[in-house]
Amino acid sequence: MNLQALSLHHAISFPSLNPNNSTRLGFRLPSHRGFKIASVMSPQHTWTQTWKTDVLHLIDETEESLFKTGKFGRFGGVFVPETLVTCLNMLLSEFSFCLNDPHFQGELATALRDYVGRETPLYFAQRLTDHYNNGRGEGPEIYLKREDLNHGGAHKINNAIAQAMLAKRMGRRSIVAATGAGQHGVATAAACAKLDMECTIIMGDVDVARQSHNVRLMKLLGAQVKSIKGSFKDATSEAIREWVGDLERKYYLAGTAVGPHPCPAMVREFQSVIGKETRKQAMEKWGGKPDVLVACVGSGSNALGLFHEFVRDEDVRLIGVEAAGTGIDGGTHSATLAKGEIGVYHGAMTYLLQDDEGQIVGPHSVGVGLEYPGVSPELSFLRDIGRAEIHTVTDEEALDAYALLCRLEGICPALEASHALAHLGKLCSTLPSGTKVVVNCSGRGDKDIETVFKHQQQKSSGELISF
Amino acid sequence: MAFAASSSSAATARYSAQSDLAFRIPSNPPKFAPYISGHTPPISCKMAATAVDKELNAEALQRPDAFGRFGRFGGKYVPETLMAALTELEAAFNSLATDHEFQSGVGLVFVSRKELDGILKDYVGRDSPLYFAERLTEHYKRHDGTGPHVYLKREDLNHTGAHKINNAVAQALLAKRLGKKRIIAETGAGQHGVATATVCARFGLECIIYMGAQDMERQALNVFRMRLLGAEVRAVHSGTATLKDATSEAIRDWVTNVETTHYILGSVAGPHPYPMMVREFHKVIGQETRKQALEKWGGKPDVIVACIGGGSNAMGIFHEFVEDEDVRLIGVEAAGFGLDSGKHAATLTKGEIGVLHGAMSYLLQDEDGQIIEPHSISAGLDYPGVGPEHSFLKDLGRAEYHSITDEEALEAFKRLSRLEGIIPALETSHALAYLEKLCPTLPDGTKVVLNCSGRGDKDVNTAINYLKL
Repeated sequence: MNLQALSLHHAISFPSLNPNNSTRLGFRLPSHRGFKIASVMSPQHTWTQTWKTDVLHLIDETEESLFKTGKFGRFGGVFVPETLVTCLNMLLSEFSFCLNDPHFQGELATALRDYVGRETPLYFAQRLTDHYNNGRGEGPEIYLKREDLNHGGAHKINNAIAQAMLAKRMGRRSIVAATGAGQHGVATAAACAKLDMECTIIMGDVDVARQSHNVRLMKLLGAQVKSIKGSFKDATSEAIREWVGDLERKYYLAGTAVGPHPCPAMVREFQSVIGKETRKQAMEKWGGKPDVLVACVGSGSNALGLFHEFVRDEDVRLIGVEAAGTGIDGGTHSATLAKGEIGVYHGAMTYLLQDDEGQIVGPHSVGVGLEYPGVSPELSFLRDIGRAEIHTVTDEEALDAYALLCRLEGICPALEASHALAHLGKLCSTLPSGTKVVVNCSGRGDKDIETVFKHQQQKSSGELISF
Repeated sequence: MAFAASSSSAATARYSAQSDLAFRIPSNPPKFAPYISGHTPPISCKMAATAVDKELNAEALQRPDAFGRFGRFGGKYVPETLMAALTELEAAFNSLATDHEFQSGVGLVFVSRKELDGILKDYVGRDSPLYFAERLTEHYKRHDGTGPHVYLKREDLNHTGAHKINNAVAQALLAKRLGKKRIIAETGAGQHGVATATVCARFGLECIIYMGAQDMERQALNVFRMRLLGAEVRAVHSGTATLKDATSEAIRDWVTNVETTHYILGSVAGPHPYPMMVREFHKVIGQETRKQALEKWGGKPDVIVACIGGGSNAMGIFHEFVEDEDVRLIGVEAAGFGLDSGKHAATLTKGEIGVLHGAMSYLLQDEDGQIIEPHSISAGLDYPGVGPEHSFLKDLGRAEYHSITDEEALEAFKRLSRLEGIIPALETSHALAYLEKLCPTLPDGTKVVLNCSGRGDKDVNTAINYLKL
């Protein structure tokens, strides 16, 4: 069977590629078995000047060649069947055109402002800041980028509305998308309703069962919800299959920065409004830049959306927080960058959670939106070159962070975003007083209230909370 | 209860400490002297024998006057112990207008304007957009291609998903300024309760929410949410164990703890200064609308439509335009199962004048002056009273009030979801449903602004059974 076709449905581990590059990147490329990737970037790691220059150089180089090659260093690419290549090329040229088309950009800006509700605020979380102070009033200042206030309640809509507009412009009549937690499905359904486009959302039966509220929302918004056996990764494969089966009419709306080029670049570009606003707002608020950016990482779209603007600012730390689920060692988790190996999945080379046979390991997190066995190739790249630091947070820690933000700020964050918030517990004590920390509050947590409720019930030894 | 009414024999009045305050006043209002003991001497007040002349310019009438009256509506029908607190509240609200650091423009200004503006911007997420609903506009186009232009004021995008938070943050800030550390509120479905608990968490205030026991059962997740936000939720078992009983209980708590406690009333109902204050805190909706309308089409809205429960979101958008005679103001109430079914909440259409929760206004009451249990599929409109200012605007003929059934609201709920990808609150859906009747009558190009007062995620389960999805 064709290797590229295979890669859409199964992970493939490759032996070391581009041996010439290996010394340049400074570490040994893995063999395809049994290699455990160093999990955490040490926070004490000092940036030498040469390293900074190297990293910036790599970033610039990558950005320059990105459109042509679709590669972020050795990650990314276009590992797809022949039939898709033409289509992807067309998508790429349409996307490139839109980026520079004032008419499209104007329409998109109006939609983002009046429909989505942008700009989202950069909110100074006073009580959360006080909570992490050392008792002498010293500690970092914590700001939340309020993507929870978007229409639909998450950052997903930024990408969904832009791509739906792009699809319409390309003359496509029908959108197909895959969703796990349902946020992307809801955002896509909403965008399709607004733009009068047919919408099919594909969901694994596992997810249909546990995300019934989001399923109802999608149907209400006029989308057709197709249930297939499995989970998000299977839904993605099926969605791509459907797309390939009807390339003239259909448009595959990728929800996150994974997949074959140009999907990762496109999604990152449409999400980068988050970082652009943050830069402007930081300048207005304290006349400077953020010092540290923190975001949860499932596949990486909200993180890249915040990070991308600052990738070249070496004085800005980028911290991604993945899901350690029930435990990073021995438990079930979704910490792809922390624990994964390099392979090809859904058309791109990236880190992924796979076993020794190259079979995908089913990921787990209480933040269902983080449950993806792969991760954005761009984030894989940023991590590899040492530009982004990756940490992990368990289900318990995320649930605690959810409750903490509710109580201190009256904001219920999505359980996904709660992972980023939970990391503040470890981060803040290491930061000098006055450090400006911006956390991407990537979604609101109304959808998670039942999960939190059940969890709290279980915690109090199965006693029902009486009213 | 320090209230005495001398009236003609035609008037019947009955008050008992245990029931809600409700008075039935005949259509020819008698002269009566409201007796307010304590700080002020009795005031005799002659009420107009006939209805207010419709030609009177709204501008000439104070909204409210010094006694907290909007014409003959409003006022302060409360127990003696609350008079001091109300007076103090009003004084605090007004005196801050003279604080030069916070002064801005003409009229009443808020506590710590800069602080409030910052919170509205960064915490609540204002300004909320004025969104041109293209597909909805298309839907209302006639065969010849003419039709009005429909815009939605997106209060659904606010933090917590409704307009309620505007008032809640401002009142919490006011409470803090007054040195009150304890906040109480009542709630029906939980929206106002959640908004109150939210701001109390934000400002670090103790929070007690009164909720009817029956409502608590129906809204278990909202109860949990309030508790997660740090609030104490107290069940009210008296009466029908719903909103009006929770309100009465909250008032009772306030009477008892008035020194330490601020009562965050959720709507433009209640005794003066609440109707005025809550309107002031929501008027940002109308102010933004004026500015955005000017930016978008260089003019004003022609018609403004909003749903009416207690009336806060409607006053919030109407207030800015009340003195613009060329702007039509339309309020839409809940007709429930139908106006003739007896199961509705169409206070302004079917109610009679009386006093409820401290204010004179229209309300749904029976022959004995007892409150009729209202019904609407949307909990937020399920209130037997209405803000006194709305009663005033209705009598004046300044605003029009219509009603929409549960079924029509559900259709509108689905319609906006399908046409614009916006799921509106069931409350808002009442206003949206009225567009079906309104739009065919409007000339081409009429600018209609509808207050999209909340999002409908909370209503999906209710709607789903009816919509058979």
